[in-house]
Amino acid sequence: MEKTDFIKKNLPTILWGAALISLYFVFSSLIAPYSSGITLNSKIVVDRLKEIGGFLLGIFGALAVVEIYFYQIFFRQPTNQTSAIIIRSIQAFIAIVAILLVLYFFNATDLFRIGDGGLGKIVNAPLNLQEALKNALIKSKFASKTSAGTTASILLSLVFFILYAVIHFISKPRASKTGLAYLLILPAFIGVLFLIIYPFFFEIKLAFSNASLGTQATKNAQYGFIYGWNNFKTLFTGTVAQDAKFGAVLWRTVLWTVINVTFHVLGGMGIAILLNRKLMFKGVYRALLVIPWAIPTTIAAMALRNEFDSRYGLFNILLGDLNAWLLNLSLHTQGVIGIGNLFHWLATVIGPVSWKQDPFWAFVSVLISNIWLGIPFMAIVILGGLQSISQEYYEAAEIDGASRWQQFRNITLPLLSPVLTPAIILGVVWTFNKFDIIYLITQGGPQEKTDILVSSMYKAAFQFYRYGFTAMFALVIFAILFVFTLVYLKISGGLKSATE
Amino acid sequence: MASVTFQNVIKNFGDVKVIKDLDFIVKDQEFLVLVGPSGCGKTTALRMLAGLEEVTSGQIQIDERVVNDVAPKDRDIAMVFQSYALYPHMTVYDNMAFGLKLRKTPKDEIKKRVQEAAEILDITHLLDRKPRQLSGGQRQRVAVGRAIVREPKVFLFDEPLSNLDAKLRVQMRAEISKLHQRLQTTFIYVTHDQTEAMTMASRIAVMNKGILQQLDTPQVLYDRPANLFVAGFIGSPSMNFFPGTIVVKGDAVEVDMDSFSVTIPEGLADTYKGMNGRKVIFGIRPENIHDPNFAPVNIHDQRVQAKVDVTELMGNETFLYMLNGKNTIVARVDPRSHKRVGEDVEVIFNMDRLHIFDAETEEAIR
Amino acid sequence: MKPNLISRSLRWFFYRSHGDSPFKTLLIHLTLIVACAIAVYPALRVITISLRPNDTLLTTDLRIIPQNATLDNYKEVLFGSPEKNRQSDFFLWIWNSLSIVLVTSIISVILAAVSAYAFSRFKFRGRSAGLVFLLTTQMIPAGMLLLPLYIMIAKLKMINTSLGLIIAYAVTSVPLTIWMLKGYYDTIPIDLEEAAYIDGASRFTVFTNIILPLSTPALAIAFIFSFMGGWSEYLVARVILQKNAIFTWPLGIFTYAQQFTVSWGQFSAASVLIAIPVMALFLYTSKWLVSGLTLGSVKG
Repeated sequence: MEKTDFIKKNLPTILWGAALISLYFVFSSLIAPYSSGITLNSKIVVDRLKEIGGFLLGIFGALAVVEIYFYQIFFRQPTNQTSAIIIRSIQAFIAIVAILLVLYFFNATDLFRIGDGGLGKIVNAPLNLQEALKNALIKSKFASKTSAGTTASILLSLVFFILYAVIHFISKPRASKTGLAYLLILPAFIGVLFLIIYPFFFEIKLAFSNASLGTQATKNAQYGFIYGWNNFKTLFTGTVAQDAKFGAVLWRTVLWTVINVTFHVLGGMGIAILLNRKLMFKGVYRALLVIPWAIPTTIAAMALRNEFDSRYGLFNILLGDLNAWLLNLSLHTQGVIGIGNLFHWLATVIGPVSWKQDPFWAFVSVLISNIWLGIPFMAIVILGGLQSISQEYYEAAEIDGASRWQQFRNITLPLLSPVLTPAIILGVVWTFNKFDIIYLITQGGPQEKTDILVSSMYKAAFQFYRYGFTAMFALVIFAILFVFTLVYLKISGGLKSATE
Repeated sequence: MASVTFQNVIKNFGDVKVIKDLDFIVKDQEFLVLVGPSGCGKTTALRMLAGLEEVTSGQIQIDERVVNDVAPKDRDIAMVFQSYALYPHMTVYDNMAFGLKLRKTPKDEIKKRVQEAAEILDITHLLDRKPRQLSGGQRQRVAVGRAIVREPKVFLFDEPLSNLDAKLRVQMRAEISKLHQRLQTTFIYVTHDQTEAMTMASRIAVMNKGILQQLDTPQVLYDRPANLFVAGFIGSPSMNFFPGTIVVKGDAVEVDMDSFSVTIPEGLADTYKGMNGRKVIFGIRPENIHDPNFAPVNIHDQRVQAKVDVTELMGNETFLYMLNGKNTIVARVDPRSHKRVGEDVEVIFNMDRLHIFDAETEEAIR
Repeated sequence: MKPNLISRSLRWFFYRSHGDSPFKTLLIHLTLIVACAIAVYPALRVITISLRPNDTLLTTDLRIIPQNATLDNYKEVLFGSPEKNRQSDFFLWIWNSLSIVLVTSIISVILAAVSAYAFSRFKFRGRSAGLVFLLTTQMIPAGMLLLPLYIMIAKLKMINTSLGLIIAYAVTSVPLTIWMLKGYYDTIPIDLEEAAYIDGASRFTVFTNIILPLSTPALAIAFIFSFMGGWSEYLVARVILQKNAIFTWPLGIFTYAQQFTVSWGQFSAASVLIAIPVMALFLYTSKWLVSGLTLGSVKG
């Protein structure tokens, strides 16, 4: 009875497991004959799993140390005077060690160069201790050379847990209303601190440096206000990557953003309105129309790049055909005054275009690509908004005698705005920052005539290695976006409703 | 088996004083209904008892134990929520068993108790369903069932019937009363509906603006309301109130309402003899105002002239809304008295059932 | 065929919504068919190119199924070619991408799920400041933090390791995921949690037994979002990973395009192999993806 119950309850799990296992065997037996042609092997897989496993263990271990520390601060209190002294001194000790480790991290990543002097020795103390322990372990044959580092780290972190256990046994519970909230956001907070805040300040420091390939990035870089000023000056007087000037790129970025978002919204709105009705094959249309969004961007970009090929690309083939057709037409209508000339003139205007060499057409090509990619997202968002508008409003409006256009103006648009406004704002910010299409299709070329701000910045950093300059460039771009956001918040009345 | 004590309980949300000094005892096995208009603090009081809100000051006891700092799970209470709060991802069975599972009750015991509760509530056939497959009434039963299986010391109900339609509400009212008789446990029930309170409670606590107005059995509350608020809140349609002045004329005591005056019957008049000129509010329930043709005998009657403004026929009775000067008089008269709108009529006040309140303190004067 | 049947099927095709004339319905269908063609054609062309034999890669032929269609490109992409003495890195790239992106998504969903709960259910000092701050980080251009992160990762000797890229990816998705999940948690009635407390649950039990099961759709969406974001990412990966052995697939398939002889056939074959499962997953989940997006970032 119990047994059949168990099987019945877990049947889906068992079936899934069986299906996966059999799939694995089928797959591996299918591949077996070709395995010599494949570079992936089990050793690579195992090594990667070990690497990531160690990484995760380290991260979660460190998090556990921090979390327990704060847990005890929020939820335990000393029982008497002596225990208070012991607890507070242990906590102070751990805090000092943590600060030293953070300073070590700063030192190692070059934000503060502390050097090997007095402070340097203290900062390096925890790590030196680990090193010493490691050597001792190897000497005493307690651990092998490869595992000594890990063993030493584990032994050292054990110290933390012993200290925590001590605190636990000489304290009593304490109630805290918000303590848990802080414990819950702590991991994400630490992540954001190390991966967003810290790099941000790092960037500010870099902006006031002459870091470049020549200085081996930060290794021999000089810092000072004068370097910052130079970077700033270069940004507006010199070139932003290699050829382009800041003003031109900024103008192009605005064009890029405005044109893209306009077409995304108009196209998306059109499709959404067409789809928002009872219609045969609606599901099919919907699925097909989402494809540009579903295709991985990298693949879509390369596919489109092919289509902009001057000889073999779809666009020029079609334009060539159109050109030939118009020429042919003009020959046949030669006798008819006006029309023959018109077709001839059209044939001289419409024809294959050099998408790669002509800056204008190159920019058009990236615009077309990005518009193609972006419409489905807007269409789906707007469709969702449209579907949430009750049909009754339209029926009421119809009874009141409103025309289709009046219904659109007075019902659809206002009721859509809670969905549309944030979507447009996010769209603006995303498009402003989105340069993968440009980078993959034209590489910003020809002569950086299709670059936008972010793509210029990317190139300045990773193609021309102008690190200090790039940092200043990034700060300026951030300032532009920040002002935009502030203006938006002012207009929209802030984020109050969202954060309440 | 438990009594509940509120001792000088105060609750503030920031600067807003939601409950000002709540002080009462719920006896063991009692069915206490907390009633009052929305925002009067009744739900907050219940939630403090449940441990869902903290007490700003004062003490709450369950039996002899002070529970201010006890977690909800350790208070041995069960609660039925207004929204039922059934876990949408669990079946009815799991919903009911959840609390027992958390308490590590043996599996057989859980099964037995859930079956029992399901039989009591007649939901045995629903045990495998998810909450969203149930109707409102069925969800209500499951919510009650979830409370029953725990066999708690105290049951808490937070407006459990307010989401049901009128017919179902009447039916569930009876069932909850039956349940109370069957389980013989302390029930504390919050509602804004005085009918629910009157029909189910062994005692009613009327609250307003964070203050307990009166705590007594339904009949006492109806017959002898302690103040203007209770008098107006209990009973439907609510009591007529006429501002007036006490006039002592020798042995007789009258209440002068400008447009009409009434004489207080001899047996009751003694209380008011020394109050000549005092501003009072004279109250009388609509059911104590009669059509002269159908008035009961052996009452101290007082004839009052009025003009019919609106009539509402209910079938078994008729509501008359009449005007007398600035006063509106509502009467609940015999259906056979056919009064027309605009007609000048004479009605009889049953002066044995009068209520007199101080115009300033709004307390009853007896 | 009975005339009745014809008229019925015609009516079915024109499935008239309120007030649309048949002509208008026909026009709508035509517009949508053209839009679909524009949406699908470039994708179909990738399939076409992947099927072309190597000697006819460059052609002005616009047919969808080419002449002499062959699966040779697929075979070479998957298993290498013994004739050219070349091994295939395809599975290696997929494994690299998969391991990196899966770990990133798992970490960011766990971090976000936990802290979004705090943001949704607790009133604590710094709560709204924290939420606004998280949103502000989304204003930071993706490329802006890349430089300091790159230098940081380089100094930590994590260039050309999966860990370096995991770190770089984890940053981008956490703040938005927190917003999204917070928005979802907000829609779960607080009554459910209170009922559970009274039933005897602790904060932790409530989170694991009530909140998490109820938000599986949102968690799945968050996971898929984060996964899709990293899965086809090119620009960050290009900076952090510079060795073929650790390439993710977007970097990998570019090796086909950047060799002296551009192998479009193989590039396209690899693209099709990668895109089809991803697109299937995407189409399957797209409805929820949008609802998740509106829940989190649009409605707040």
